[in-house]
Amino acid sequence: MAARHRAFIAPRLLGSFAAFAAIPVYLAARGVPNALEVLVFAWLVAPILIAYFISRTGRYERAHTLSSLALTGLVTVVAAQTGGIGSFAAIWLVVVPLEASLSASRRVVALASTFALAAAGLLLLLDAINLVPASATASDDLAALAALSIISAALYATGLALGAESLARTSIWLFYEEEDRYRLLARNMTDVITRHGRHGAVLFVSPAAEPLFGVTVRSLLGHGLFERVHVADRPAYLKALSDAAASGDAQSAEFRVKRDLAADRLHVADPFIIWIEMRCRPLDHAVRSRNGQETQEVVAVMRDVTGRKSQEQALEDARAESERANAAKDRFLANMSHELRTPLNVIIGFSEMLTKEGPMMLNAQRRQSYAQLINESGHHLLSVVNGILDMSKIDNGNFEIMPEPFAADRVVATCCDLMTLKAAETGIELALRIAPDVPEIVADKRAFNQILLNLLSNAIKFTDRGGRVTVSALRDDAMIAVAVADTGVGIGTDDLPRLGDPFFQAGASYDRRHDGTGLGLSIVKGLVDLHSGTLEIRSRLGAGTTVTVRLPIDCERVRPRSPVVAAAPKGVVEALAPKRIDPPVRKIA
Amino acid sequence: MAKTVLIVEDNELNMKLFHDLLEAHGYDTIGTRNGVEALDLARKHHPDLILMDIQLPEVSGLEVTKWLKDDQDLKAIPVVAVTAFAMKGDEERIREGGCEAYLSKPISVGKFIETIRHFLGNA
Repeated sequence: MAARHRAFIAPRLLGSFAAFAAIPVYLAARGVPNALEVLVFAWLVAPILIAYFISRTGRYERAHTLSSLALTGLVTVVAAQTGGIGSFAAIWLVVVPLEASLSASRRVVALASTFALAAAGLLLLLDAINLVPASATASDDLAALAALSIISAALYATGLALGAESLARTSIWLFYEEEDRYRLLARNMTDVITRHGRHGAVLFVSPAAEPLFGVTVRSLLGHGLFERVHVADRPAYLKALSDAAASGDAQSAEFRVKRDLAADRLHVADPFIIWIEMRCRPLDHAVRSRNGQETQEVVAVMRDVTGRKSQEQALEDARAESERANAAKDRFLANMSHELRTPLNVIIGFSEMLTKEGPMMLNAQRRQSYAQLINESGHHLLSVVNGILDMSKIDNGNFEIMPEPFAADRVVATCCDLMTLKAAETGIELALRIAPDVPEIVADKRAFNQILLNLLSNAIKFTDRGGRVTVSALRDDAMIAVAVADTGVGIGTDDLPRLGDPFFQAGASYDRRHDGTGLGLSIVKGLVDLHSGTLEIRSRLGAGTTVTVRLPIDCERVRPRSPVVAAAPKGVVEALAPKRIDPPVRKIA
Repeated sequence: MAKTVLIVEDNELNMKLFHDLLEAHGYDTIGTRNGVEALDLARKHHPDLILMDIQLPEVSGLEVTKWLKDDQDLKAIPVVAVTAFAMKGDEERIREGGCEAYLSKPISVGKFIETIRHFLGNA
């Protein structure tokens, strides 16, 4: 626009100033000017005024029309004074439409042509009715003036032609600049721009779609893009487009799109899913199709947000995980509270009764039995507290095992002896089978003891009178396998995965007739793990349970770190303690 | 005639404690360790008060309380909840479940008897 204005103003100012500059020369050559000459010079000011007009109003066509009108007027007046249509000045009428052609406006050119033809007609008319005054100029002067007029008109026309050419060049240059800008956007923008017609059909896709979706732009047209959208997200995709078309507001949607890995054409295209965020808004005006239906088209910008989505997912997973951990902690605390409060209730309740033995009228036998109950509950409480401590030590890696060589068969036999009395009390037969090749092992003797005692007491606890508990030990390659099998209640399939969770007692929801803290097996699990051993539970509800513990014959060779850290300060112990790996428990229903 | 208390409690020693305490204060008791049986016993004996352990095998004490409160014949019987789950929010949960009173383990013998007397008066 500005370029056109410059192209309009510059020659006019230049022409006017040139004419002004010529005035002194002209005056010097001709002496005092006549009325016509004064008029001509006054007229030369007109372009300056018109240039001022366009610079103030910016009305380009109006300025051109005024300019044409001014030139026509000047030429007509001069020609009328100097011989009518035959005047040397009449040739300038040709310049009028020529000049107007620079405006690139049909209307202006038509007006200018009309002006020029009207002027020519007027001159012819004046000639016909002999109203043209006889020229005062000598005839040889006339010839010179005619030559001068033709030359100047030709020069002016040349100037106009050059101006037109330069204007055209400017426009082309501007056009290229615009196109370069568009290309810059189109090539470097990773967002995809689409235009959608009826029912979301794609009418246009920007080239960025190719790297994003891994398919050609053409294959996305029509319903090609829709078919790549994940089935579950299609309603959201279409709703955003139809809402944008219907409501006239901007809409957004997030959906998954199947992407082809077309980059490597040697392999079968490997589709995977990317997340797309789409923002769309209706185009400013509705489009009327050939059959007269109006369609509100929608323009959409699509962006790959897979990275953000996966971060959101990771965050959500972490939150869920921490919630699960929190819930587990709460459950653990509630269970621990329950396990501590139950024996405490007995201890506090009965002891309080004993202190009020007067009003309660307790006889000696009752007092004796209450003291016995308090004692039992105290022991139970102690075992719960010890279990919790062991469990928590194992759990946070502070439980140090001190491996030493010992004869495994002897320890197994001693543990069985310890439990024989308890088994006999509840009418259970306890059998021991130790293979002759059971070697001396290197392990934590106290931990080994505890593993056996916990398993044995579990087996006895969950076996009914008349049942049988069998302990066997044998060498299994570089491991020693100790199995405790019972003919007891067994464990339901549902409960197997939770076995070994602190405080969890299988079957508790059916009939919790067995006391115990539910810590025994979780401690076994922890201790076996510290020895890099394995724990295997085979069971069927009502058909007994077999728990098999496999420990390496020399746990020091297997363990990732020797336990010399026992002597180190506590903080260091925590830092050095081997990270607890999930115990490799195998559960077979 | 002595007032009767139905004790629903799965821990044997706790059952004995509640039984002996109530007996020493002149109440009759019926006991069960099972929630479903508690409902049958309540219908059969129509006790004057029910002492309900919340953590029961099979069905929780809260569930049993709901059954009792849904039963036109039984809903007037006060239910005193006794629980070893003394975590935050437990009391609200238990009171919302329809229990008239709540005692946490370990109990204080004085408070225990006071609560029973509040509902039954002196035996």
